[in-house]
Amino acid sequence: MRKPIVFAAILFAAIAFPFVAPGAEYAIDVVFLILLYGTMSAGWNIVGGFAGQVSFGHAAFLGIGAYTTGILAQHSVPLPVAFLVSGSLAAIFSLLIGIPCFRLTGPYFSIATIGIGEATRLIALNWNGLTGGASGITLSVTLPIVTQYFLALGLCAVVVLATIWIQRSRFGFALAAVRADPDAAETLGVNTTIAKTQALFVSAFILGCAGSIYALHYLFISPDSVFGFSTAIALVIMPIIGGLGTVTGPLIGAVIYTAIREQLEANFQNLDLLAFGLLLMAIVLYEPKGVLGAYQRFANRKKRVASTPAAAPR
Amino acid sequence: MSDVILSGRGLTKRFGGLVAVREVDIDVPRGEIFGLIGPNGAGKSTLFRLVAGIMAPSAGTVMFDGHPLTKKSPAAICVDGVVATHQIVRPFRTMSVLDNVTIGAFFGRRPQPKGREHARAIATEVLERCGIADRAQKPARELNLAGQKRLEIARALATDPKVILLDEVLAGLNPTETDRTLDLIRSIRAGGTTIVMVEHNLRAVRGLCSHLMVLVEGRKVAEGLPDAVLADPTVIAAYLGTSVHA
Repeated sequence: MRKPIVFAAILFAAIAFPFVAPGAEYAIDVVFLILLYGTMSAGWNIVGGFAGQVSFGHAAFLGIGAYTTGILAQHSVPLPVAFLVSGSLAAIFSLLIGIPCFRLTGPYFSIATIGIGEATRLIALNWNGLTGGASGITLSVTLPIVTQYFLALGLCAVVVLATIWIQRSRFGFALAAVRADPDAAETLGVNTTIAKTQALFVSAFILGCAGSIYALHYLFISPDSVFGFSTAIALVIMPIIGGLGTVTGPLIGAVIYTAIREQLEANFQNLDLLAFGLLLMAIVLYEPKGVLGAYQRFANRKKRVASTPAAAPR
Repeated sequence: MSDVILSGRGLTKRFGGLVAVREVDIDVPRGEIFGLIGPNGAGKSTLFRLVAGIMAPSAGTVMFDGHPLTKKSPAAICVDGVVATHQIVRPFRTMSVLDNVTIGAFFGRRPQPKGREHARAIATEVLERCGIADRAQKPARELNLAGQKRLEIARALATDPKVILLDEVLAGLNPTETDRTLDLIRSIRAGGTTIVMVEHNLRAVRGLCSHLMVLVEGRKVAEGLPDAVLADPTVIAAYLGTSVHA
């Protein structure tokens, strides 16, 4: 029963943070970005981690969310409405791509999602009347950073609670079975197509909401920023850094990713894809379970040293 | 003669030019242990997959309790109450033995359990029946072959099937393990579940099955009570390797 206390403590600290550091706009901005990327990372993890369906096309959902908010804001639609519509449209879109893509498995699914991501980027680039084409959309609303911060914090908390619930529920068992062996899962009565489609639906809704916050933060969106391949890659890298299919892994991954990216942007522009590519290779080769896996191994070793040899490992 | 729970009519399966199963009719009596035997390459496993709905037949239909199964997904068939084990064991390797069986309890035919603890309780009960409750917390990959074969049966049982299809569950087991598995199969039948088993071990089949069917080169060559079937000259010829080509 230690975990809920830790969760509550972190949540409390995150709520208190903007009040403790009211002048430090930059610090609030950094934590906001971590929360936003953590949300996207945890959202991707529902499909990529829990269900084991590695998607390189999740930028599409982020982009749909961002563009929906951008376009609705131009027409002075109230922001809360725009926020919810953004998530919903992304979720509905997920059904359209889930039905064909989930006929494919493993690497074939992943390759198909690359196509989906690129297709949405090209549509955003060429549908001038709706999206403004290559010149993108500039939003003329202003939302105080503290409001943005709490929006991101709220969404992030919802996602974390959702993943905790998924892990313990019948739905989570279905996803775990799909990840482990889809054929065996089917013979045991798990409708794998429905399970995967549901996971993608939830994941897309979260990414759509995150896209809405993204638009409200940057106030400028273009096809290359939200639909870009580097965004899609970031969504894959973060959960892998932290630990796939876990609750906290994607958040840890988001912290590391954001920290590295901030440094690279400040000092070595355009090196980010190279750096993350190398990092990804290192993780896949040496620590496939990410930071959490490394931590667990370390903790187990300490436990083994502490306990007498006679004590049976659990 | 009791009524038929699972039946196939004119089942045929072609793989390119090869006809693995040729116009086979099969009737599985309710509540019995039905054995499907034949030499290597006779099409037993293919017929098994057709009946289990894992594979679609090239021609023919499968009926379960009066409803066609032929067009349904394996998941839907399992929910209806027909479940199959895999010849080559396929546990969810990284999951615990208990979680493996919990998935069977969560899905399958039984009314949906009320939450994880309920499903786990059902799974624990099944593990006890199958004699692997002591290894419940181990990752499935750490079980030996006999353990994994039991897990395969336990997972299927947890779905609360009306018919359970066992594909060579005795293969690779030593005599003690074989006897324990035979006891388990008898207890499953005593619980009211119909069993269809594909098997190589004729001695085990003779003592266990109430009904036998023999396939040779994709055709049914004999069917009936075990002693009569195993005394049939065609069957003996097939097993001794004499060609039965017409």
